[in-house]
Parts: sequence; structure tokens; C-alpha cells
Amino acid sequence: MIRLAAKPVTRGIAEGEALVTRMAISFTGGLDPQTGIIKEPGHELYGQCVAGKILVFPNGKGSTTGSWQYYAAFKRGNAPKGIINQTAEGVVAVSAIITQTPMVHQLEKDPLDCIENGDFVRIDADAGVVEILKRQEKKHQGEKIFTDVQGR
Amino acid sequence: MQLTSPQKNMLDGTEGNGLRKAMEILMAYGQCYNAKRLIPIVSVHIAGNFPVLLDEGIDWLEDFAEGGTRVRVFTTKNPEMYEHEQADEMNIPARIRKRQGRIHDVLKKLGVTLTYSCQHYLVGNVPRFGDHIAWASSGSQVFANSVMGARSNRDGDHVALAAAVTGVIPEWGLHIEKNRKADLLVDLSALNLETYGPEDYKALGWSLGKKIGTHIPAFVNLPSDLHIECIKGLLYTLTVTGAPGMVHLVGITPEAVTLEAAFGTKIPKAQTLHVSQTQVDRAYGEISSSTTDKVDLVIFGCPQCSIQEVQEIVELLDGKQIHPDTQLWICTSRWVKTLCERMGLLKRLLTAGVRVVSDVGAADGLHLYLRDQGVRVIAVNSARASYYAHNLFGMETWFGSSKDCVLSAISGRWEGRK
Repeated sequence: MIRLAAKPVTRGIAEGEALVTRMAISFTGGLDPQTGIIKEPGHELYGQCVAGKILVFPNGKGSTTGSWQYYAAFKRGNAPKGIINQTAEGVVAVSAIITQTPMVHQLEKDPLDCIENGDFVRIDADAGVVEILKRQEKKHQGEKIFTDVQGR
Repeated sequence: MQLTSPQKNMLDGTEGNGLRKAMEILMAYGQCYNAKRLIPIVSVHIAGNFPVLLDEGIDWLEDFAEGGTRVRVFTTKNPEMYEHEQADEMNIPARIRKRQGRIHDVLKKLGVTLTYSCQHYLVGNVPRFGDHIAWASSGSQVFANSVMGARSNRDGDHVALAAAVTGVIPEWGLHIEKNRKADLLVDLSALNLETYGPEDYKALGWSLGKKIGTHIPAFVNLPSDLHIECIKGLLYTLTVTGAPGMVHLVGITPEAVTLEAAFGTKIPKAQTLHVSQTQVDRAYGEISSSTTDKVDLVIFGCPQCSIQEVQEIVELLDGKQIHPDTQLWICTSRWVKTLCERMGLLKRLLTAGVRVVSDVGAADGLHLYLRDQGVRVIAVNSARASYYAHNLFGMETWFGSSKDCVLSAISGRWEGRK
């Protein structure tokens, strides 16, 4: 398991499967609030659903109206459980703030180098820590063990 | 973060739930960026309309305004979905009228100045050099920093609203002078910029935005007589594919009289982006999403057309009629529409079959009802409009110059590059 210090944007704890992209995300025009699916043509996550995931991306981009679209996605149950950014940009930060989505940024190591799709990730924004259980590790140990590790 | 006692009162909820919520947003936002205090602002601009707010957003806004929350600084508003006076003529569905009506009412209650313009700096919201402001609307925010020298971060709408009602913003990022320096050099020397029109600067911005991300780039080798429409074209597109809050256009940006001024004391060697014409050409292909030649609607005004752009469209039409199966819309502010009427342009445009719509923008909510009216393929001179019309509303889009767009309106088929 990898444990990285991170700077909180919001508070709270979230854990789940990681969905990772090296491309920036625009919540307006890039995310369908009705389905939680990334709909920007040419995006690495095109066609993939962010709902219930730990969404890992470098930063936000595009329209400053993004926080409305994120809020609607959240109210419809289609928002990610948690967000990890390299550096939080204002639109993503306020999206997390108004929905109380656990979010961290400025990790001690680049999250895009440490986290892959399918890894099991736990954000503890209260403690400023991100824990990563690699996919293979997860397969080997099972998620239960990971949860036990957290419990100690 | 250090708070003054009036700010503490707002946070405590003694001045109502709206102000408490606003302060909570500003506190969390400020702490995220290590802000030490909240500083006064003089101007706010907010962006969203129904297609981005959706019903959940309207509920949020109404809740925010509950209990008499009102703006404390001059606050203007981006375009809406349709021009109120044309609602019947354009068959605006009742469900859309109801939503726009709710937004209009709540903004009025909040005390927002209802400009319905994304070029609010052309209609009265003009900050000074060095002023602290909170502007949502990513294109005009970067314009404020880069052309006017005012200071705004890339604040999302909710932050801008919180700033409007409290009159303050966390002091971080671009509010602090040392953070406004460039950290990336963009070298355009490989491009023949003398031949570049506004559409080429938009394609350039599209290509570069992806690489710039949240950096603060310094552009060198720009023509000294670069037209304001080219500057707008570049800045308003960089913030579609990227998220720069500020751009130094060396020789144009007030804080970038020289390259040294843009970077502060030293110019880093490592970070230089070189742009080739091939990359700009590729961007043209990416911006257009249509494969159908027949054009249903040619639409100008993202951002809303200035009077100069309207004059250019009138000249390009050259007295010709637009094709009976194609519509041509000019989206602009109420002020520019009034000016068009006074100057006789409106009459000439109406005669040619053109519709001039005020209070809306070409990337905004109008696609919500245009789609229901059978509009599928649109032609635009705005890369920004192309991105949002396609991704938010499923329109097929063609992107080209103003001339390409006007010729397409006359022939009914896309006449620009494919």
C-alpha cells in the first residue's frame, strides 16, 4: 500500500475505485450530469462514468459554470465520491466545496504516476492523506484486508 | 484565515443563511489556497444560465437568496437563453420560459445588474488597472487580467456569487502581484502571423490551451498592431481547452511591457512551447464536428458581437439575401442591438433575412430550444461556441472565419475549410 501526504481542499473521507486521466476535465460540456459520463470527444475518459469513483485528474479547465453542472450531477447521484487533483483549479475546488465532496491536491508525489485505473483509493481529507492499494495487490489481498488495514 | 468582526458575523449566520453559506464557501476556498485574509473587491460578474444550472442550480440560487441576501458590489450577469421580447415569435417552450423567469426573478432579488452580456466590460462593468475583482466567465476573466490588468482568479460561479454578497474574496493566486508572473514561454516565430485573422488565433488558442493547462504563458513575437478581435479570439479559446487565469501578451498586457516584466526577474530556459502551422491546422479539424454540408443555422456572437463585428457582417452580406433553408443569427447585447437600430444596420439585416437577438450568446442556452425546432448543423466563427454547442447540446458544428460563415448563410452549405 502507498501512503501519500496531500493538502485538503475540503474535509471528509471517501474511498473507492480510481478513475484516472492525464487530461484536464471541464464539468461544463465535458460531464453529462444526467448520467455521470464524460462526453468530451477525444477525452481519455470519453464514454466512462465518473459516478461513485475516486476521480483523479490533473486539473479543471473550461467554463467557470462547471460548478453548476457538477452540483446537478451530485444531486442526481452521478458525481464521483472523491477527487484528487495535481493542483486544484478554482472551478473544481468550489464544486467540491458546495457538494462536500472529499477532495485533496498537491500530493507529495504526482498522483498520476502513483494511481492507475482500478486501484482502490482512500482519501482522508481530514488527515490530509491518500492511501492507494494497487490493483494487483487488491486482487491478491481482497478489499476486506485493505479495509482492515485502515481500521488499525 | 484572519477574519474581521463583520466577516465573523457573516460566518456566524447572524446576518442570515445566505451570507453564512457565502462565507463558508469563501473560507473553504481560501484555506485550500492558503489565503491569509479576505480582501475587498469592486466588481463581480456571474455566468450561468439554465442549461448549466439545471433545476438543481435554480433551487440552490433561490435558497441562497432566501432571507434578503443582496449583492454588496457592482455585479453583472452573463447572457440568458432567449430575448424576452421575441419569446412568442420564436416559440420558446413554456418549460424554458418558466426556468428563465425564475432565474431572472432571483437575480433581481439579489440586486444583480441584469446586463445579460458576456462582454460586460463593453456595457459598464469596467475595472481599473490593479482592481481586485471576482469574475466568473472564463473568457472575460482572463481578458480582465491580461488586457485590463485587473486582478481576478478563475473563480467558479458559486465563488463569484459568494464574493458578490460579502464584498470580499480570499487573497491568493492572481490577487497577489508575485503570482502574476509568467512561468511558460510561447514562441510563435514559426507562424506567419501577418496573415492571421481572428479565426486563426482561435485555432491557435485551441491547440495551445491543452498544453498550457493552468500555467501563465507569455506570448512573444505577436504583431504590435494585433487587433482586439484577435486578442479576444485567442484568450476566449485558450480557456476552452485549457485553464490559464492570466496570459501575458508581451507588448500588450499592462504588466508585460517587456518579456522581462512578464517573467519578473529571470526568464526560465526550460519551459518554452513552440507552435507549428501543422498544429494550428489540426486544431481546425478538431473544432469542427460536422460531416453534413447543409447548414441549418449560422450563428455569430460567442462572445456576444461587438458593434464592429456586426458592421463587418453587414459588409460581408453585401446586400445579398440569406438562403431560405438556412437561418443567420447575430447574438449580441441589448446595447449593441439598440446601436444597430439607431445606425440603420438592423433594418438592413432584417431585409437580408438575418435575426438579431439580444441578451443571449451563441454558445448558450438557445440550443436547448433550437434543437427542438429542427436545427442540427450550425456554422460558427467561434471555437468556444463550437465546443459548447456540440458537447452540451449535441449540435453538429462547422468552424471558420466570419466570411466563411456569411457565405455559408447565403449558399445554405458550408463554404469554409473542412
